[in-house]
Amino acid sequence: MTTIIDTELLADVQRFGAGDVSACFSCGTCTAICPLSDNDGTFPRRIIRYAQVGMKDELLSSKELWTCYHCGLCSDSCPTEADPGEFMAAARRYAIASYEPTGLAKTLYTRPVVGPLIAVAVAAFFAIFMFAARGPQDPASLALFEFIPENLIHLTGIAVMGVMALSGIIGIVTMSRRVAKHENVSLPTLFGSRAALTRTGSALWSALGVESLGQRRYREDCKDDQPAEPWYRRRWLIHALSIWGFLGLLAATILDWGLALTGVKATGTPIPLWYPSRLIGTLAGLSLMYGVSMFMANRVRKVNRASMVSTASDWLLLVLLWITGATGFLIEVALYLPDAPAVVRLGYWVFLFHVAVAMELMLFLPFTKFAHAMYRPVALFFYALAGDKSKQPA
Amino acid sequence: MSEQADASMSEQADAAKSGDRRIGVFICHCGGNISDYVDVAKVRDALTDEPDVMVCETELFACSDGTQKEMVQAIQDERLDGLVVASCSPKLHQITFQGVSKRADLNPYSYTQVNVREQCSWAHTDDHEGATEKAIGLVRAGVAKTRLSRPLEPLVVKTLPRTMVVGGGVAGLRTAVGLADIGLGVIIVERASKLGGWVGELGPMYPNEHGGREQIDFLVAEVAKRPKITVLTDAELVSKSGSFGNYVTEVRVKGSHSQLITTEVGTIMVATGFDTYQPEVGEFGYGIDGVVTLPEFTKLLDDSHGAAGAGYSKGPLIYQGRPVRTIAYVYCVGNRQPAGGHEYCSKFCCAATVHASLKIAKRDSTLRQYHLHRDIRTYGKFELMYTESRERGSVYMKFPDDTPPSVARMADGRLAVTVVDTQTGNEELTLPADLVVLVTGMVPRKNQNLTSVLKLPVGVDGFYNEIHPKLRPVETVVAGVMIVGACQSPKTLSESVASGLAAVTQSAGILLKGFAELDPLVATVDTAACAGCTDTCLSSCPYDAITAVNADGREVAEISAAVCKGCGGCVPVCPQNAIDLLGYTDAQMRASIDSLAKEPVS
Repeated sequence: MTTIIDTELLADVQRFGAGDVSACFSCGTCTAICPLSDNDGTFPRRIIRYAQVGMKDELLSSKELWTCYHCGLCSDSCPTEADPGEFMAAARRYAIASYEPTGLAKTLYTRPVVGPLIAVAVAAFFAIFMFAARGPQDPASLALFEFIPENLIHLTGIAVMGVMALSGIIGIVTMSRRVAKHENVSLPTLFGSRAALTRTGSALWSALGVESLGQRRYREDCKDDQPAEPWYRRRWLIHALSIWGFLGLLAATILDWGLALTGVKATGTPIPLWYPSRLIGTLAGLSLMYGVSMFMANRVRKVNRASMVSTASDWLLLVLLWITGATGFLIEVALYLPDAPAVVRLGYWVFLFHVAVAMELMLFLPFTKFAHAMYRPVALFFYALAGDKSKQPA
Repeated sequence: MSEQADASMSEQADAAKSGDRRIGVFICHCGGNISDYVDVAKVRDALTDEPDVMVCETELFACSDGTQKEMVQAIQDERLDGLVVASCSPKLHQITFQGVSKRADLNPYSYTQVNVREQCSWAHTDDHEGATEKAIGLVRAGVAKTRLSRPLEPLVVKTLPRTMVVGGGVAGLRTAVGLADIGLGVIIVERASKLGGWVGELGPMYPNEHGGREQIDFLVAEVAKRPKITVLTDAELVSKSGSFGNYVTEVRVKGSHSQLITTEVGTIMVATGFDTYQPEVGEFGYGIDGVVTLPEFTKLLDDSHGAAGAGYSKGPLIYQGRPVRTIAYVYCVGNRQPAGGHEYCSKFCCAATVHASLKIAKRDSTLRQYHLHRDIRTYGKFELMYTESRERGSVYMKFPDDTPPSVARMADGRLAVTVVDTQTGNEELTLPADLVVLVTGMVPRKNQNLTSVLKLPVGVDGFYNEIHPKLRPVETVVAGVMIVGACQSPKTLSESVASGLAAVTQSAGILLKGFAELDPLVATVDTAACAGCTDTCLSSCPYDAITAVNADGREVAEISAAVCKGCGGCVPVCPQNAIDLLGYTDAQMRASIDSLAKEPVS
């Protein structure tokens, strides 16, 4: 079975970064030093080689692409200064753009002017759309869901989530099918027997629980111990706090919605801090804000290999997350403040901004760096399956 | 010469009696290499009482400085007139001990080296007694040969201050300029109708991007400035006679009326260059439209380059009306083949290909270039080109020796190169390409006529052979005939020119003095004994040194000492035993054999 070479592949990947990778002469120092490269997956050398030679199928069906947390050891030790770590990041950007069919991700990643303009335009669209359908602003006290009707947010949210889910599912299915073919995994091998189901379940737990939520390998293998960072600046912790914060906010929102459905409280009404949804939301919000702010500060200061190169799309995710989080907190604060007219007036606008940006964040999930949240667990799942298989007697 | 020969015969007859020579014998331990297997003390004891042996000693290392000094002292103190050192092969130390003789004012041809290492101790490590006996016999034979030795002086031949350079490529031209500049006359003989050779066809070259044609133009202008240089084009060397320092050559010049020019020269420089390997039809797809050799590709590239100094035109290379988007280079075509083929590496082709790929990358940055190689040998400073080429996006794929790429035409007219890349896990890949460049190396140029006219030694690889690859790199076994440039082995331009200038220095050493000294170990004819049946000896000489001459009204053989190489081929064929080889006379050899065959001592 011969593989047809795509002679444009490397140039295509290089549009997403990785300008130096042509200098690579396949020595394999990167693979030797990588704490994550083991018997189940050898990278970055092999992945770089796929791109250099033009083996597009192999590149896009590599689970190894998503294992890397960009610690930068490979780039530090590369004798040709080909920056393999940055190549892996660029290849992931390329994969995100390849797995989704609209071309939006590619535009956001590769067009440094048009991309951000689109982001601003989409946020503006949501804001104008909401503003056009606005209700009265009670000047006396913040009545947010009268200003922007709850139903409108709800329906728009469902529409946005629908588009996001559709795009996300297309991406996940595209990727899963490619990787599964490459890894010789089929539906019967996943669900065909009790043993298969057990294996699948255990791989799912490893991918979603141990690795995605627990960040095990990030914690244990990709340490920032050169030079040692204080615990509160460890990359895995910043990353984990962002994940936990985001998921916590999601949980609080669902909880809040549940409380509204059961008639315990109405959405948007002030509640005491000890309320579970409020408590979780506040802690999660703080966690997210800390993580995202640290990520942004790192990128500004270029403190490590992973933050040396920042594309517009990298910033887009951080900015959207940060704005959503910050405006959310401002609204909370405004709700608890005495109803001074200036605070109330500002509160409405902050809320409009918050809703618009939050909508965009969710809509753009499959098209920005956020998409790694979908693809990395898929890769980790196949990784866990492969590792599991290797433990079985031949 | 013949006087010397006559004298030698009578002297040897006189010297056959023992008792009137004073010979020193030194037996070397070689630090155990010999003495571990040969009982050197026993050898010494056996030789001490041998007639004419005045000094007989063993030495730990005969070749050491201290021992050499002691030997000089012994020769002088004991007034020795013959020296025997029993040690290693004469290939290693004959010159050393001849030097010892000279320093002690002893004629170096009175020295005999006996090989008791390679031909005795090393060969008989399992039989110490036998080895010792054999060593005694060998040393006795050496003494017997030395006993009949007589002083010889180097032959002195007059040399002409003129050189012929065969081949007007870059090496020949630069050599001619160098020869003229040290004051020698030069005749350039070029087979083609214009000077320049391969380099004259080339565009910009590494590292200064000076065109090959421009460099040739420069050299041709330099040649024209020197009245000492005569250029003959459309010309071929068709005969050579005479001897070292005084060759008579005939050059046939083609043209409207072909003429034969006779010239006398002191030395001849062969700078006939190389041919490029021409693939068979079907070899890596050669013959398919779009599959070209390296010279064809560089010509395509340089032709599209425009006038000299105009710089690189931008945009894609056009091949047969179509833009070239992807090029595949297949390296080592026709070189590094299995035994029986061209086994050597041409060593210029990796660098030439990478350079060509850089030239084209500079004019078309969107071009995709794949280098399919067995190894990339851009040695020395060429390495920088290789690095730059990778950084500019050239992809290098190493295929296994036993799985070479194959080339076929696809339905859409493009070419498909199938290759296994060892760096991608041995998967079979198919590369769509617009142009496939077969990187063809150098092969020896077919020059049968010149080879037989000059009796040039040809190696198994088909290139001309030097005497010693390191110490005598431009001389051949034919004295005064030197090899320059890529006719000797694949060379880069700079290496070719360097070898040409080495030959200039070598010629200066031979020709500027006006005379040269030759080894006197040559064959001589006893004219009185010669029956004049010259057919036998004439045809036995590979160097045409023997001629039939008239002496006192009858035909006899005469051997030119300047042409004779001392191979001895004529000695045994003479029915009258009228030919003898100086330094290895019949009498000496007979005495040696008699001594060797003496009864064993133990």
